[in-house]
Amino acid sequence: MLQVTPIVFVVDDDVSVRESLELLIRCQSWQPEIFASAQEFLKYPRVLVPNCLVLDVSLPGLNGLDLQRIVAGERTDMPIIFITGHGDVPMTVQAMKAGAVEFLTKPFNDDVLLTAIRAALERSRTALGLEAEMRVLRDCYASLSQRERQVMALVVSGLLNKQVGGELGISEITVKAHRGKVMQKMKANSLADLVKMAARLRPAPAAITAA
Amino acid sequence: MKKTAALSQQKQIAGELDRRVAQRTIELGDAHEELGKNIVERGLMEEKLRQEEQELKQSEARKAAILESALDCIVTIDHEGCITEFNPAAEHTFGYRRVDVMGRHLADIMIPPALREKHRQGFARYLATGEARVLGKRIEMTAVRADGSEFPVELAITRIPLDGPPSFTGYLRDITERKRAEQALRRSEAFLAEGQHLGQIGSYSWRVATDEITWSAELYRIYEIEIGVPVTLELIRSRVHPEDVTLIEKMKMVEQSREGGHNFEWQYRLRMPDHSIKYMHAVAHSTRDQDGQLEYIASVQDVTARRLAEEARDKARSELTHVARVMSLGTLTASIAHEVNQPLSGIVTNASTCLRMLAADPPNVEGARETARRTIRDGNRASEVITRLRALYGKKDPTIESVDLNEATREVIALSWNDLQRNRVIVQQELADGLPLIAGDRVQLQQVILNLIRNASDAMSTVDDRSRQLLVRTEADEDGHVRLSVKDAGVAFAPQSADRLFESFYTTKNDGVGIGLSVSRSIIENHHGRLWATLNDGPGATFSFCIPCGSELATDADDNRDLAPDVTDAA
Repeated sequence: MLQVTPIVFVVDDDVSVRESLELLIRCQSWQPEIFASAQEFLKYPRVLVPNCLVLDVSLPGLNGLDLQRIVAGERTDMPIIFITGHGDVPMTVQAMKAGAVEFLTKPFNDDVLLTAIRAALERSRTALGLEAEMRVLRDCYASLSQRERQVMALVVSGLLNKQVGGELGISEITVKAHRGKVMQKMKANSLADLVKMAARLRPAPAAITAA
Repeated sequence: MKKTAALSQQKQIAGELDRRVAQRTIELGDAHEELGKNIVERGLMEEKLRQEEQELKQSEARKAAILESALDCIVTIDHEGCITEFNPAAEHTFGYRRVDVMGRHLADIMIPPALREKHRQGFARYLATGEARVLGKRIEMTAVRADGSEFPVELAITRIPLDGPPSFTGYLRDITERKRAEQALRRSEAFLAEGQHLGQIGSYSWRVATDEITWSAELYRIYEIEIGVPVTLELIRSRVHPEDVTLIEKMKMVEQSREGGHNFEWQYRLRMPDHSIKYMHAVAHSTRDQDGQLEYIASVQDVTARRLAEEARDKARSELTHVARVMSLGTLTASIAHEVNQPLSGIVTNASTCLRMLAADPPNVEGARETARRTIRDGNRASEVITRLRALYGKKDPTIESVDLNEATREVIALSWNDLQRNRVIVQQELADGLPLIAGDRVQLQQVILNLIRNASDAMSTVDDRSRQLLVRTEADEDGHVRLSVKDAGVAFAPQSADRLFESFYTTKNDGVGIGLSVSRSIIENHHGRLWATLNDGPGATFSFCIPCGSELATDADDNRDLAPDVTDAA
């Protein structure tokens, strides 16, 4: 994998906070992207490099917690670090439950923030890696024909070729041929490999069939 | 001899006879004349009798007509108390027919059973002793009708002046209506007196030409003068506060000008003998009496209690104002901390970044310089926030200056920005260009704006089904006022509570005390302006105030109430 520059997004309506973070982030050789509102931030296209979001809780219009909900749903590779001028306990709890990496009260120690950003970027990198694998897996699965998918589903559930043929009303020979295709298209080295892949694909079967 | 004697005797007799004949003739003549006279007299007598009879008839007819048409009941009785006359008015009043009562005993017909025995005793006493308690006097008593109902009557009884056994005539009048009217009048008077007493309102009339003054009982009470003491201008003057006495003179001047149809309203003080002070509010109207003389009708109210309450209220309000400020300070502390924390956070981060840049190899001097510049900028921002807060919450006397309402509004919005954002309020500003300056106390006006904005924000704190839009608008209207309105999309208020919103201690918030709007209104009224609330067509409410351009702040010269509304001295 190429060495890419991680992006640190900052959303804070206060210019002092925003711009001071911009310099601090750049100083760490990350790419800062700063925004004064959640709406402005949401217009920025999705990135495929490790990234994280430093987010102020109090924002005009859509506030930080609202934005967190959107990000958690759409951008699983974007961990969030909250910053706030007045952290109250319920708000902190809500943010952490929703998956925030850290919740910092202004003014914060830069080391603490940088450590949090580093951890967030690492998490993002992992998420991106997993996502890339998943993407490959999904692409492979997408290349299967309808019959091949049926055969794969029955094979990974533990049926023998003969049984699969019985289920689908086709000959064992035909099942074998489909099975070979499946192994080839899925780039699976063994039946155990294929079973694992099927398990990983399972969490979002609806999305797969729709694709 | 004997013959001679006989002749002589004969002659004598003849002579005697002649004389007697002659005399008799004379007598007869006289008698005849007398008879003639008698006949004439008798004729005259008869004529007179006829006349008298005629007169009697006429008199009877007149009497009958009187009896017939008299409005009063006329009843006559004989010496035994039996009815001998009963006129139509009596028939009508008592409900009997004349024929049914003639000859019956008065007591059985007209006197209530309870009083009959007394009547009999009185009647018997009169007959025995001639002592009369009721004759020739106007008396009131109770009578009874045929149907048994009793009613008040007024009556006079006279004895008919004839020889023989006494008989009497009674004149009776049903006075039910009069009694009722009297009672109603008494009641009305009692009502008025009680009303005056309760309201501590006295009234008087003053005939200017004669200085004849009539006071109501309550006025005596208010002036603490014994009821009935004749009222003179001197007496009044002795009670009126020396500083207000000139008013009487002024009034007299007006009276003397003899112009009618004036209305006066004035306030003055009384100084009582114990040196306590009473505050009076008087209204007078001039009229002309029947003789065309000027007369004043006035009503005077003792407003001492109200006055004292007002003074207490003003004092309380000025204390409240301070409390309101302190409380706003308390509830805004979090917001203030946030305000200051923002630039502080920037400063800390910048300084850290600066150190990192300088520590790098090679040091990033240009980057460090930039962070230092930003550090200074953020330091200044923090300082501005502090300055603004000090201006808003510092205990300062009101200072009149030219205020740009737009600028003042922007500052308040900036100050409450985070508060608003925390509450997810979207603030829109429509501040009119070229808004005229107003003269006033900037800090006080900002307190009002802050209060309105915070109320609007609070009103939307539970709104989730629509955006929490807050519109702050300024504009100049045609009649020389500058207007500011704060429109929210919140829970609004019940239309019927619109008037109460501005009362002290009235609140619709769970954690509110209810003094913000009342203090705000005081401030705006001190600027000769008006503060009001309306419901929006859509959700929410709009609170607005307008202040005349170039108005001077109302001043209280005599005390240091800096926010209490101006109360003009009533003296």
